[in-house]
Amino acid sequence: MKKCNFNNLIDDYLLNKLDNKERENFEEHYFNCEHCFEEMVARDELIAIVKNKGQLIFADEERQEEKKEVFFIEKIFSSLTPKQWAYAAVSVALVLVVLLNVVPLLKKTPLPPFFLDLDKEERIRGESLSLISPVIDIKSVPSQFMWAPLGDNVDYKISIFFNHKPFWTATTKESTISLPEDVKNRMQASGKYSWQVKAFSPQGILLAVSPKVQFKIISAE
Amino acid sequence: MKQKLDLDEIVVKYRPILSFRIKKYLGHQNPDWEDVVNEIITNVVEKIKKGEFRGESSIGTFIYTISSRRIVDYIRQKSKTLKHIPEPKTFPAPELEFENKERAKTLADAIKKLKPKYRKILYLYYYKGFSRNEVAEKLGISPRRVSERVDYAQKLLRKIIKK
Repeated sequence: MKKCNFNNLIDDYLLNKLDNKERENFEEHYFNCEHCFEEMVARDELIAIVKNKGQLIFADEERQEEKKEVFFIEKIFSSLTPKQWAYAAVSVALVLVVLLNVVPLLKKTPLPPFFLDLDKEERIRGESLSLISPVIDIKSVPSQFMWAPLGDNVDYKISIFFNHKPFWTATTKESTISLPEDVKNRMQASGKYSWQVKAFSPQGILLAVSPKVQFKIISAE
Repeated sequence: MKQKLDLDEIVVKYRPILSFRIKKYLGHQNPDWEDVVNEIITNVVEKIKKGEFRGESSIGTFIYTISSRRIVDYIRQKSKTLKHIPEPKTFPAPELEFENKERAKTLADAIKKLKPKYRKILYLYYYKGFSRNEVAEKLGISPRRVSERVDYAQKLLRKIIKK
């Protein structure tokens, strides 16, 4: 039987690949062309079988496809020269180094915020400033106060309290300060003293605050 | 008598064609398809009897046109009650289509017996759903060759089944 020109449209029609106009034209055609209709019915049956029983029919093809994928990966690996292998290894190592160093930094969970209550009204967030000396009871009036430095270009404000009331205050860029003689002379034995240091940036922004540490001057009798 | 004979022939010839088209539009599992086909056939016969078919077009086109109107009516009617126009189901037909399961099994076995190059075409084109051009590219042949191989595979299958 001579092949009809519309024969090529059978698959596209059955697989819904024709636009509306093409579909209508083809439908009108197969109402008039016995040959195309017969071919179409046979093709429809074939497609239905393939779709419905394809898993059983094409088990070999499916296995081959899987093998092909594995082979493709193997081929890539086997096609590398020792030099390419070396480059690949170095690249992988570099990527790993970057991943291991950068990713944890990116993902690093922030530390819980540090809060320090200055008084009932004021609370600041930041790092603490450690006081070094004096932090325990002492036998004589201290000539020097010392704390852990926070870095360069930091202004420290030291405050000394006597019985919880401000006694003396001073600012310095050093992490240590000597008491002036008149202040030393005013300090009494057996009194309850406390001191605190606050660190400021050159712009006057509060950077850190030390805890308030108490000390007593125990008279050496 | 002549007219009656012609009508019988028309019904016998066009029922399968009409059924095919209607099932494609209504969906293979839609139980209405048979009623719709019967309605169209009745309508066609009545129109011919009334002399409405004047031979200006072929009888095939005449029936095709009537079936188109009925499909539109059906969709309108259903869309009123269902809200959503029933989409024509995509081919292929579900398993219900295979009334003769034995025949389906025979055909499946026949496909298995095909040479790998024909089976591969059916596998990629119909089962995996690649386009003709994609299959051609995968196999390193022209799209025209793909169609030819599908056609030839079908011929071979017919031969195997007839044996």
